[in-house]
Amino acid sequence: MSAPASDDIVVDHLTKQYKKLRAVDDLSFTVRSGRVTGFLGPNGAGKTTTLRMLLGLVTPTAGNATIGGQRYTELHDPIRHVGAVLEASSAHRGRTGRNHLRMICRAAGLPDSRADETLELVGLTPAAKRKFKGYSLGMRQRLGIAAAMLGNPRVLILDEPANGLDPEGIRWMRDLLKALAAEGRTVLVSSHLLGEMQLLADDVVILAAGRLIRQGPVDDVLGSMGAAQVRVRTPQAAELADALGKINATVSPQPDGSLLVSGADSAAIGHTAFTSSVELHELTPERGDLEQVFLQLTAGMAGIR
Amino acid sequence: MRLVSAELFKLRTTSIWWIMGIILIPLYAASVGFNWLSSYALTSGQAGNGGGGTREAQVQAVSQPINIATNMYTTGQYMGVLIVLLLCAIIVTSEFFHLTATTTFLVTPRREAVILAKLGAGMIVGLAVWALTTVLNLILVPIIMDALNLPVQLGEPAVWRAIGLNLLAFMLWAVLGVGLGVLIRSQLAATLILAIVYTVGAAVVGIIFTLLSQNVAEWIGKLQVLVPTTASELMLSGTELPGNPPRWVGAVVLIGYAAVAGVVGTLITKRRDIS
Repeated sequence: MSAPASDDIVVDHLTKQYKKLRAVDDLSFTVRSGRVTGFLGPNGAGKTTTLRMLLGLVTPTAGNATIGGQRYTELHDPIRHVGAVLEASSAHRGRTGRNHLRMICRAAGLPDSRADETLELVGLTPAAKRKFKGYSLGMRQRLGIAAAMLGNPRVLILDEPANGLDPEGIRWMRDLLKALAAEGRTVLVSSHLLGEMQLLADDVVILAAGRLIRQGPVDDVLGSMGAAQVRVRTPQAAELADALGKINATVSPQPDGSLLVSGADSAAIGHTAFTSSVELHELTPERGDLEQVFLQLTAGMAGIR
Repeated sequence: MRLVSAELFKLRTTSIWWIMGIILIPLYAASVGFNWLSSYALTSGQAGNGGGGTREAQVQAVSQPINIATNMYTTGQYMGVLIVLLLCAIIVTSEFFHLTATTTFLVTPRREAVILAKLGAGMIVGLAVWALTTVLNLILVPIIMDALNLPVQLGEPAVWRAIGLNLLAFMLWAVLGVGLGVLIRSQLAATLILAIVYTVGAAVVGIIFTLLSQNVAEWIGKLQVLVPTTASELMLSGTELPGNPPRWVGAVVLIGYAAVAGVVGTLITKRRDIS
């Protein structure tokens, strides 16, 4: 393994023990720069606790978490290096969105103009002078992202940023994060919206019950969970199943009348159907589904601890 | 310094400062009226007949024009300090009430720097309220002194010393407020507890001390200076009053409380998990 690049996030044997609950248990993983990494896990898996330890808000019981080789609390001007969105609701209800950002600029020594620039970036300029309590959940998420972008950081850490966004907003955020990663930044996004993650993430880190379940590029994680399946519709299901059995494919009838075939690709299935004179109405290769893989991987480890 | 300015910006961009300002004005007016009446009672000799001993000597002492003057020129301390105490506690508790502590500590992971900035901002709040009440006093009190047929006494060093010590009291109570805000993190609890303890608590403790010193031992009464409100009153009293500990004892007690609250508050904030 090569030495960590300057913007990599390295989590190293991180553990957080609360009185009775081991929220995070000897967790290690690496987040590479230039890619979007999805941080996935059931509710209560320890995602938020991990991110808070990474950002110096929660003290680990054991282990280490570094960003570009340094702990967050050791960074000189942290928000110029790392932008974080942790809670969509974390602004004073009576303060305007713009003043919320200016307050951060003052404390970080950034010019006030950054507040207006990031408001523009997230499309909140029309609501700049409205108080936070009048913001919808989607607007609050956008304000959070604006706050994270104030210091033009090389590393972005977002906890459930898609919550409360409408389809247009989700698409906007996906494009923004992909563009930021394409500029070489490190992007770590936690979520339980798996369909969205499949579209957004290059890599995934899957967590359950405080432990690492799987880490790697999305395609590898999907590929590792058995061969892809093909969905087939035919009026002669029994005959096709017989014929496919002879080439060692597995056929499982679905409630909607279709067949899910594994162990053969669409070409082989089409050929088999042709040679046995079976009429086909549909022949669709199904891409591995992150949701299915996730549920398989975390089976029995989800839920309230 | 930029952190202090950020803290003041936080205070300025919400409505709490003018709400507190609006509350302060009638409370100040009431204090002026009360002090006027009690000064009138003292000068016309209606107060404190009987009692004897120390009590009579005290009444005589406070009836002296110089002591009436120091009392009048520090009008608004009782209520002003209450407002400063609450505002300074809210500077801390609102971070947790509105979940902005996360943002604050992400921008400044060195938490002791944040608490120091809050102490600084709190002291500036104390300075502002002191300046406001003092300016009003310098305008209004000469008129009242005139009405009481007393000299204005603005040339007396004791008056200016009292005004200066009044500033010290505001500063120390500001530090106390920030420290207590850290200790009582809930905004509602902090405001209620501090307001009640400051007003009712001091009176109740006063009664308890009086009963104890009358029925158990005389010396217990001298411990009353350990109550913060008593300490700050003592610190202000113009000249030494018979039967009371010297003025610096009041200052030492207040500084002690402020230091303990500030240090304990900082240590707790440094260790606490923010979630």
